[in-house]
Amino acid sequence: MNRLLGLISAPIALIFTLVVAAGALTLGGYDPGAAFGALVEGALGSPRALASVTLVRMVPLLLTGLAVALAFRAGLWNIGAEGQLYAGAAMAVWLGLNAGALPSWVALPGVLAGAALGGALWALIPALLRLRLGVGEVITTLLMNFVALNLAGWLVHGPLQESRGVFPQTDPIVEAARLPLLVSGTRLHGGLLLGLALAAVLFVVLRYSAIGFATRAVGASPQAAASAGRIASGRILLGVFLVSGAMAGLAGGVEITGVTFALYENLSPGHGYTAIAVALLAGLHPLAVVVTSFVFAVLEAGASAMQRSAGVPAAWVNGVQALVILSVLAVDQVLRRAWLGRRGEADG
Amino acid sequence: MDSLLLASFAEAAVRLGVPLALAALGETLSERTGVINIGLEGSIIAGALGGALGALAWGSAGPGIVAGAAAGLFVALIFAVFAIALNTDQIITGTAITLGGLGFTGVIYQAQFGTTGTALSLPTLEALPIPGLSAIPIVGPAFFAQAPTAYLAYALAPALWWLLYRTEWGLELRAAGEEPDAAAAAGVRVRTLRFITTLFAGALAGIAGAHLALAHTGTFSEGMSAGRGFIAIAVVVLGRWNPPLVLVAALFFGAASALQFFLQTLGWQIGYQLFLALPYVLTLAALAGWLGRARAPAALAQSWPRLHD
Amino acid sequence: MAEPFAVELDGIAKRFGRVQALRQATLRVRHGEVHAVLGENGAGKTTLLSILSGLITPDQGRLSVQGRETRLASPRDAWSVGVGMVHQHFALIPRLSVLENLMLGRRSRAGGWGLDRDATRQAAKQLADETGLAVPLDTPVEELGVGERQRVEIVRVLLRDPQILVLDEPTAVLAPAEVSQLFGLLRRFADEGRAVVMVAHKLDEVLAVGDRFTVLRRGETVLEGAARSDVDASTLAQAMLGGAGIALPASGRGTSRSEMTEPVATLSGVTVAPERGSAGLDQVTLQIRRGEVVGVAGVEGNGQHELALILAGRRSADRGEVQAPQVCGYIAEDRATLGLISEFSITENLALRLREMPQFRRGPWLRWNRLRARARQALQEFSIRAPGPRTPVSALSGGNQQRVVVARELHGDPPLIVAENPTRGLDVAAAGFVLSALRERAEAGAGVVLFSTDLDEVLTHADRVVVLVRGRLSEVPPEECTRDGVGRRMLAEGDA
Repeated sequence: MNRLLGLISAPIALIFTLVVAAGALTLGGYDPGAAFGALVEGALGSPRALASVTLVRMVPLLLTGLAVALAFRAGLWNIGAEGQLYAGAAMAVWLGLNAGALPSWVALPGVLAGAALGGALWALIPALLRLRLGVGEVITTLLMNFVALNLAGWLVHGPLQESRGVFPQTDPIVEAARLPLLVSGTRLHGGLLLGLALAAVLFVVLRYSAIGFATRAVGASPQAAASAGRIASGRILLGVFLVSGAMAGLAGGVEITGVTFALYENLSPGHGYTAIAVALLAGLHPLAVVVTSFVFAVLEAGASAMQRSAGVPAAWVNGVQALVILSVLAVDQVLRRAWLGRRGEADG
Repeated sequence: MDSLLLASFAEAAVRLGVPLALAALGETLSERTGVINIGLEGSIIAGALGGALGALAWGSAGPGIVAGAAAGLFVALIFAVFAIALNTDQIITGTAITLGGLGFTGVIYQAQFGTTGTALSLPTLEALPIPGLSAIPIVGPAFFAQAPTAYLAYALAPALWWLLYRTEWGLELRAAGEEPDAAAAAGVRVRTLRFITTLFAGALAGIAGAHLALAHTGTFSEGMSAGRGFIAIAVVVLGRWNPPLVLVAALFFGAASALQFFLQTLGWQIGYQLFLALPYVLTLAALAGWLGRARAPAALAQSWPRLHD
Repeated sequence: MAEPFAVELDGIAKRFGRVQALRQATLRVRHGEVHAVLGENGAGKTTLLSILSGLITPDQGRLSVQGRETRLASPRDAWSVGVGMVHQHFALIPRLSVLENLMLGRRSRAGGWGLDRDATRQAAKQLADETGLAVPLDTPVEELGVGERQRVEIVRVLLRDPQILVLDEPTAVLAPAEVSQLFGLLRRFADEGRAVVMVAHKLDEVLAVGDRFTVLRRGETVLEGAARSDVDASTLAQAMLGGAGIALPASGRGTSRSEMTEPVATLSGVTVAPERGSAGLDQVTLQIRRGEVVGVAGVEGNGQHELALILAGRRSADRGEVQAPQVCGYIAEDRATLGLISEFSITENLALRLREMPQFRRGPWLRWNRLRARARQALQEFSIRAPGPRTPVSALSGGNQQRVVVARELHGDPPLIVAENPTRGLDVAAAGFVLSALRERAEAGAGVVLFSTDLDEVLTHADRVVVLVRGRLSEVPPEECTRDGVGRRMLAEGDA
């Protein structure tokens, strides 16, 4: 995707979406103003809402959004962020339950590193299938999602089930392995800082480092990267796959160590898929992902408030997310055709 | 094993496999032309809601099925307009359609029926036993005492095979999905074929959804498609894009699902999720070439015509 | 003449972006003849044929088939007026069987619902009996070799019973025996009162089978419908290559200097297997020395690209020994796809090569300030007309884009420079600039290999000339370094 177009199309798409959404709400007999008002109020209206709901919701979206943005930037269709998240979460839980008496400064980084490792390992299989056997990563990463979901289900019903044996969930992890709170009295945990830091790191690496440059080149044109840059796309893609998986795994680990402290089914309400919308709206730009993950967090966090106050069903948020993606795609195509129209096709 | 248990396991396997089969058979055709529709999930849930609304409006399940097909087709139409006519990326578009499908069906459902939480009670699609065949021990009740949608699936498998391999349309379909440039040079209308097969897949997915609502559970609930659209895509791969094999693969996935319940009944408290994961693992193995080569149509997921930067 | 032309293309113009592929192209084909269309690469032959076969539509001009003016918007339209094209890069579906490929596009009696395998089998057998073109019906096309695939392509088209047969470089991948078989077929086809339009390169072949000839040069028709009796190899070559047939000696630098300098790159017995569209390399032995410009002449598809890639270290040979410097400048032929990343800035495109050099790195980081400074310098040094170093190269003209490539590849004085058709698509000023930059590097001691399908260019700018024909390399002795001499070698089925 042309980077320049990506940055222009996002605001246009967002406006377009808002217009369509408002129109649809009106058609459905709802008051769009009240609906949006309730949504924003619910997500941002009070410090408690902002800290304990919206920002907490933002963290996994930010991390998986970065994971997906990086992959897509390199031309890799990683649809498996959801599964990688679960793999990371499982790893985090297992380590977090067995951390014993380790002090916090060992246990917490260890657990998070383990989560990243879990996510990376989960991405390894589709990566090998793509790089060794040429199997398209779209279907393989999708399949791995299902395997991960089922494995997580097995874990919480079986080997890792809580000691009580009542619910399909694990015991809570040890205190030492939990993320510290950023603001006491809220649910806002250190994972947010971790996410922001990662976004900054990713931005700097992509923009200024040699390997970041190589990654961007491979994503823009593997042939030119190989011919003019003598860049071996195989190694780059493998690296990107693993890092992307690691970040998604980290998202799972952060949810465990920061929010739920235990693993259960439906840990993620589809963050790995929402991440695609987050990344796309951000034009695959790491710093923009911070903004778009916040936007989507507002949407999701405000959804239940919107339902309560304005009577608009919470499921509406999914619809808006869909509209966002479709708008970005459509605007992108329109701009691309206009751009190419001026320049003409490639030499025949 | 108790033969009664075996019989009811077989019946459940088929019943659970039918919606997968319907969605997967349609998707097989569209993937053969090079279109992968991850938005199939959206078509299924739309079909479920459409089926529910249609059945309630007309008072019986039959019209519900038709309404479900129409709903599924409509969702696929949106996908097709973006991914085929406007040439947007198929993967991203499909993701959006799924999100949109889940979202909008939830909205419409709540708008119509409120958020009270009591389950809808829908007219059901009764099982239709085929005389004679349904009397065969074990196999009979499993395969031939199902809802009519199951028979649609059985009929579609050989019919689509015949279409793909014994007709000119089928040849053109296959050509379009392998080398659209070459096919177009030979006079094949690639985009038209892609459009038609995608709509067809959407309609079938809609019927699958309607089947879920009207024959399987008898009600509608948000998100009841439960990922079956994605599973159908895996089924297509396991079935190697070959309709009869796709049907078998769908039943295999259905069996894995049914196994879950039966292992629970047998007292196996744990481990059944591993069996649920098994079909996906096998699909991955198929892609890796361990179970013979499963080669996707060469132009799958490629926008056509290609826009040069 | 009262009888209408089988095909008439008049005043055809077609533009692709900035490139005017055809400006005033005319082609008139009569019934009962084999009409050959000639021209160098980039002359517009394939574009003209694509218009005739419905793949693209012209910007201007008239197209008439069988005397009726038509507009062909798709291959289907072309078939409906009886035009069938055999493509250079075959329009076959690899995973389908030969039989299935033959059936594609044919309408059987049952319309779309039927699939008459037996009828097609019969028809194929009949055709094989009549013409000797036998193909293995049940084998998947992907298992066939290039020559066989072309036969399938020809059979496929013939089975659809075209009135006008259009062929794009049909003999490129055929053995001599197959070529005469094909020509016999074309002759019979024309004798039945139909028409054959054939694009070709090899003059001997074309003269053997052609009745009339049309030559394109830079998008225009320079020789229209000349009869066989009026032309010979020399007149055709002149028309294709332009200018009078005056012998132009290679520039007087001669070989004396290069004998005294050390080799920069050496290839011995290098062989590369032929693949789709290319003849590969066959036992190529070549030495490039410091300070010389070696011109590689030859028609595209004879192994030039493979040789360039091997010299530039972008690929390895199947057999043979290669000694080439690690540091080398490579100006790739396909600037748009291989040379530049269009959405990247000038600086970033420079970075593609410069990133490995120590002065532009600090550990894992690239020194973008220095890269940008270098880019600004390059803008000056190479007269690149651009707003600044951050400009995306997609905003530059072809000439300026090539200057960016040259700036990048010549940086750091590499000992070996490989340039593939570096002036293609450039205006005179830009072309001149590139060539003099290369000459300058050679004078400073680099070894330069200049691949070009433009004979004038090779003769004017190279110290030595070698020719690639079907993967085999031969050196042209100085006394034969004339347009005529090299041209004949290039265009004919030469011996090593």
